[in-house]
Amino acid sequence: MKYVELHAASAFSFLEGASRPEDLVSRTKELEMPAIALVDKDGVYGAPRFHMAAKSVGIRPHVGAEVSVEGFGSRAAPPRWMPNSFAARSVRLPLLVENRTGYQNLCRLVTRYKLREKEKGTGKATLEEIAEHAEGLVCLTGGEEGLLAASLANHGYDEARKNVETLIALFGKRNVYVELQRHYDPGEERRNQAAVRLAETLGLTLLATNGVRYATAAERELLDVFTCIRNHTKLETAGRLLERNDERHLRSNEEMLELFSDLPDAIGNTGELSARLEYTLADLGYEFPRYPVPDGETMDSFLRKRTQEGFENRYGAKPNEELFERAQKQMQRELALIEKLKLAGYFLIVWDIIRFCREEKILVQGRGSAANSAVCYSLGITAIDPVGMELLFERFLSEERGEWPDIDLDLPSGEQREKAIQYVYQRYGQLGTAMTANVITYRDRSAAREVGKALGFDQNTLDELSSVVNSGEWRGPSDNFENHFEQVGFDLNHPRVRKYWELCERIQDLPRHLGQHSGGMVVCQGQLDSVVPLEPATMPGRVVVQWDKDDCADMGIVKMDLLGLGMMAVLEDCLELIPKHYGKPVDLAQLPPDDPPVYETLRKADTVGMFQVESRAQMASLPRNAPVKFYDLVVQVAIIRPGPIVGKMMHPYMRRRQGKESVTYAHPSLEQVLKRTLGVPLFQEQLLRMAMIAANFTGGEAEELRRAMGFKRSEERMKTIEARLRSGMTQNGFSPEVQEEIITQISSFARYGFPESHAASFALIAYASAYLKFHYLAAFTAALLNNQPMGFYSPAVLVHDAQLHGLKVRPINVLRSEWNCTVERTMKEGKEVPCLRIGFRYVRGMRQTAAETIVAERQKCPFEGIGDLIRRMPELQKSEFVTLSEIGALNYLGKGTHRRTALWQVERAARSAGPLLDPIPEQLELSPLQQMTDEQRLVADFHGSGMTTGPHPMSYCREALTKLQVKRACDLPRLPDGQYTRVAGCVIARQRPGTAKGFVFLSLEDETGISNVIVNPDLYERCRKVINGEKFLRVDGILQNQDHTISIKASRILPVSITRAMTESHDFH
Amino acid sequence: MAFASLFVPDFPVQAVMRLEPELRDKPVAILAGAPPLTQVLAVNREARNAGVEAGMTKIQAEAFQGIACRWRSLIQEATAYAALLDSAWTISPRVAEGPRRQEQDFPDTVVLDIAGCERLFGSQEKIAHDLKRVASDVGLETNVAVASNPLAAVCAAQGYSGITVIPAGEEGRELGRLSVEALRIPFEFLETLRRWGIGTCADLAALPEVAIVERLGQEGLRWWRLARGAEDQPLIAKDFPSNFEEHMDLDSPVKLLEPLLFVLKRLLEQLCARLRMHILSIGEIQVTLSLERRDSRRKEPVLHIRTLRLPVPTRDSKLLLKLLQLDLEAHPPSLPVIAVRMLTVPRKARSRQLGLFLPLSPDPERLEVTLARIQSTVGEGRVGAPVLLDTHGPESFRQNRFVLPEMKERRPSSEKRPTTAMRVYRPPLPAMVESRKDKPTYLTCEGVRRQVLAFAGPWKTKGGWWSETAWAREEWDMEVRPLRPRIRAEESREAQEETALYRVCKDLRRKRWFVEGIYD
Repeated sequence: MKYVELHAASAFSFLEGASRPEDLVSRTKELEMPAIALVDKDGVYGAPRFHMAAKSVGIRPHVGAEVSVEGFGSRAAPPRWMPNSFAARSVRLPLLVENRTGYQNLCRLVTRYKLREKEKGTGKATLEEIAEHAEGLVCLTGGEEGLLAASLANHGYDEARKNVETLIALFGKRNVYVELQRHYDPGEERRNQAAVRLAETLGLTLLATNGVRYATAAERELLDVFTCIRNHTKLETAGRLLERNDERHLRSNEEMLELFSDLPDAIGNTGELSARLEYTLADLGYEFPRYPVPDGETMDSFLRKRTQEGFENRYGAKPNEELFERAQKQMQRELALIEKLKLAGYFLIVWDIIRFCREEKILVQGRGSAANSAVCYSLGITAIDPVGMELLFERFLSEERGEWPDIDLDLPSGEQREKAIQYVYQRYGQLGTAMTANVITYRDRSAAREVGKALGFDQNTLDELSSVVNSGEWRGPSDNFENHFEQVGFDLNHPRVRKYWELCERIQDLPRHLGQHSGGMVVCQGQLDSVVPLEPATMPGRVVVQWDKDDCADMGIVKMDLLGLGMMAVLEDCLELIPKHYGKPVDLAQLPPDDPPVYETLRKADTVGMFQVESRAQMASLPRNAPVKFYDLVVQVAIIRPGPIVGKMMHPYMRRRQGKESVTYAHPSLEQVLKRTLGVPLFQEQLLRMAMIAANFTGGEAEELRRAMGFKRSEERMKTIEARLRSGMTQNGFSPEVQEEIITQISSFARYGFPESHAASFALIAYASAYLKFHYLAAFTAALLNNQPMGFYSPAVLVHDAQLHGLKVRPINVLRSEWNCTVERTMKEGKEVPCLRIGFRYVRGMRQTAAETIVAERQKCPFEGIGDLIRRMPELQKSEFVTLSEIGALNYLGKGTHRRTALWQVERAARSAGPLLDPIPEQLELSPLQQMTDEQRLVADFHGSGMTTGPHPMSYCREALTKLQVKRACDLPRLPDGQYTRVAGCVIARQRPGTAKGFVFLSLEDETGISNVIVNPDLYERCRKVINGEKFLRVDGILQNQDHTISIKASRILPVSITRAMTESHDFH
Repeated sequence: MAFASLFVPDFPVQAVMRLEPELRDKPVAILAGAPPLTQVLAVNREARNAGVEAGMTKIQAEAFQGIACRWRSLIQEATAYAALLDSAWTISPRVAEGPRRQEQDFPDTVVLDIAGCERLFGSQEKIAHDLKRVASDVGLETNVAVASNPLAAVCAAQGYSGITVIPAGEEGRELGRLSVEALRIPFEFLETLRRWGIGTCADLAALPEVAIVERLGQEGLRWWRLARGAEDQPLIAKDFPSNFEEHMDLDSPVKLLEPLLFVLKRLLEQLCARLRMHILSIGEIQVTLSLERRDSRRKEPVLHIRTLRLPVPTRDSKLLLKLLQLDLEAHPPSLPVIAVRMLTVPRKARSRQLGLFLPLSPDPERLEVTLARIQSTVGEGRVGAPVLLDTHGPESFRQNRFVLPEMKERRPSSEKRPTTAMRVYRPPLPAMVESRKDKPTYLTCEGVRRQVLAFAGPWKTKGGWWSETAWAREEWDMEVRPLRPRIRAEESREAQEETALYRVCKDLRRKRWFVEGIYD
């Protein structure tokens, strides 16, 4: 007699289970149980992970779900006198899937009531719906959350019998099992006695389960914490909401036999039922949709025609016959493979989206490995010529891999992207397409906050703790909860604090709730809701599948990413602004390819606001790489990545680029592959080609090698493929040392490396952004500001950078500004030039509708004064008027009006005196208030709009700083390398990259530019509070000027008092 | 019209220091909040100069050298404030509480009407000095201000240190130097004033009155007048106290009588000083000693209360101390003392007349006496009304003070369910259980071994894992038969039928068995 656990819930029951599906599986394996069923609340959220984990250890994973139902009354609620009594909760029926029909029915059933639910987690199925979807499902009577418990508690035995009879009518006698659980609870035992009686009376089969909520007893603590989080209470006061004991863990066969020694059949029946449940997720029945083609066409022939048309446009225009020939061959090869793999429908669907975007004038560009495909290039999905750039098709698609290709589309973030997503919904129906989910798991900060709340720590303490928990990617030796706790003054010897610390560690990576992936979409031929349950997303008109994108990929569901890229939106806005204000059209496809001044700007690392090349690390490497042509930019985009840095490729490449090191190859045969990158492998495609040349791998095998190396969970797979690689290299006469070098390069790279095609797609956008910034600064800056938040710098930094480049930036003005930032004309040196006007979107707390009303009203007739404005704009709230006054936006409404005058008048107008006294005029002509000082103006600017268009805060105290020997950012290039220097500025970025061994990089901005500071880990630890907490810093240290990359190696960091203005910084992202 | 105001800066610190004069001139921080959430609530000037700030954690504060940390005592603050009021009553019978900030448990200011007091006590300046001195006698260092309206006096006392006497008509000028924050204006008004660039009372007072009303309404006008020193409000005088109390939490438990007497002496001196201000004597004195808890599971404080009723009222602290010493020698506390509370009732006896229309219910005083009698019979802490607690844990009830329930008509329930009553042994009886194959076979309790005839269980509960009061237990219901030999035949027959049903539990943490109760 072998016991099988058929009622186990994982943490994917969201706060009602405490173990990951993988942990349940590994514990099942330890207990030598042959199978286990995962029955999560209202869905199959954890099923893919459960399936994959079980498959890898040879356990049969049964699928099921606890389905909330109405019509059986509510679960027994705690008595009213208890402090934690909660509203009635519906009964949940544990349903197990017997066959594929059952699985499809389960998915449809869950989808049906989930899509009806009004708020998250509230939906429930009706009895009619259950009846409709009952085929292929086995129903258990459940534990404390089930039907039997509720009926017995609320109305007694007779009602319970009646309800079980209803279940029999719904599922059939053979498919209803009377469930028994024993958790050493007298109430439960009374229920069991009634259940046994019922089973005897109705001739039903008994089934023992343990109603598992966690893999091992120790995890009960986490479940208690989850219970508190779910009920918004604390452990101290949660009382009987918490678990009674820790018995709901996985038990061994022996334990269960002992526990049910009086009812051995209940154990034996688990094995029998398990044998009946033949369904696993391996049989998902997913099919990608077919693209509707005209009569007489097949999808293959239709795709061939569309590709050929596009091919003529793309390659026909290029005066290069040899390229044309090669491309033609490549395209044919690709089409043949697509036909063979029956993927024509997929390409046509993506092509269709691209077509829609073109028609709607939505900027779109494919990224990722799709750029390796000539078919994608011809269809207009990507903008990079893969043949011209000699990109490797196998990175995108190969016969061996047996996986769907991955096509990601970049769209302008915001409305345009939403339009494209809605098009897909409309085209394939609500039940045919959905967004992939994003499982939100507990990370350091959320763990500290929620566990702390459950343990009863007060809000201020939790806020303080959250502020020191590092959210960046670098986790140094001091970045652990132990240190964070000490920093906020916790006594680690206190048992409760220790428990807090321990729980924070244990809760990491457990799912918290389900979100929506930013752009991943899945589509299905027929009904997607029979493949995976669908749920409504928070955004209206969207549905989400219950699995995240990795789970979808594991289950063989094809996914498209429609990603929102802020810079695409900026480019799109520029396309509109430039013709309007500069009088000449601009075509992104026709930008001059190698514009020298643009490259000069890039070489100077003057790249604030540019796509991909604006970060601190990019700026530091740009002067070394010194790009002069497009391919240099492709390398630049790819090189500042964890892969090249961890794989130690970055420095050799830079040295070779600067001629400081000769270009060599591990083996002469690799020269053709590595020539472009000076003998240093930088791209995934190169690694694939290396494997193909060195070890005679086919394209598909090489891609498999990359995946095996990148796949952290499969050590075994990696070893097998590595052995094949070595034997291939030995055959080709590679020496052991060279083999070792190549394998090191491949293994360090496979995980983090960047596909060349992806880098090239990004480099295109980077170049376009650099070009537009250089030639059309006003339009580019306006577009950048209108699409915040995006990029690396705050709006204040972007505005200051534009000013440094000679752009006149005008402040928010109630007579001129619109909601968005706009381009205006101004006179400069006798010429009319464009300038930038900041829009109302930067007024803190201002509503877009209010701003638009101001614009509409002033177009009717200009405002004559503050009184007139207030009178004509009753829609505006007082707080909006106050902020507008505070930032000086009303200064233009009268002669001699300053910010305080406006505030004075606004305050009067906001407090209506009533109809009798309203006409009484103001006694004073002007306000008795003093004008704001420079400091007050700065504070008001940053407080009210997050920026200033006036002088930089540092300029007000430059004189004093000069006396202190503080150098300006613009002075640094003139100083010799190694000189002890002192700089000061507003902190605009703090970074601690994972690859920098704990070094922290600060960017300080002054009125002349940005100075870069390097802080070693020791100094950071000593000055952590100052570095993280202060807005303005003074740094003393050695100036490093190497290859035109300038930085200060800090030896001393002090806070400086410049202004109380709340400047912003971009930290640890 | 003239009013004086006394303000105690860093009131929570001074409330502690007045009973520990040795802390004067030392940096002191007052801690509040249960560990591990303890924070610094208040500090004195010396501590502030050393860098300690309110809001720091205990560990952060203790990192500063030489800092004396004391726990906040609400009772000590209450008695300190009572002493401050007493000081004010020495000059005038019309004494009122000063305005209190929202977050304050006790006000730190009093205000008194001193109109006409010049004839008794001299000039306003002398009165201010007298007030400061009298407050100092009860251990409080105060700022004193005199002005022609109470709110101006309060603002000046809170804003300026030492003694401030504002001549009539000079209020606006004197208060003008103060920051507007000193007026304790609500945040939203302060925010508007900040935007206007208004920093001092003088700035605010300089704004035109009508313009202020137009913009800030009547509330704004009140602050404007306050800034000019012209705001007035009636004084609501407090009643004299009916008894006088002092309390002191001890830094470390005191075992010996001698150091305890030292503490009693301090408290007595304070009490006598305060009573002297009211020209009253002590009629009855009650000393409550809070004792150290040895058993951390016991939540209720362990108290040792001694009451002395004096035949003749007295204010002689030496005599009183002697009497207390004799009494405590006769009835010494059983455990070290951690806090002392002294309550005195002035000699004046209160007369009391019953109301004509009082309902016929038990006289509360007689009920108290009855409850006290029951308590004296069954023991301390064994009388009350049980209330269930929301926990799976053992002993899941709390004992509330017994109060007369509201009389309601009870209707018999239509459904009668069989119920089993269990008598609970408190404390539970230690027991031993012999088991075979994890099943109980014999139960031994109070020296008697009993055979287990039938059982149900175990029922397991486990909880409180996050705290020191974690529990883990198994409960069993066991039907047992005594194994004693019976002499007489009839007894033997009875014994065969004589079985009992016990609730037995095992404390899994201590690995000990107990008989918890017997079913009727």
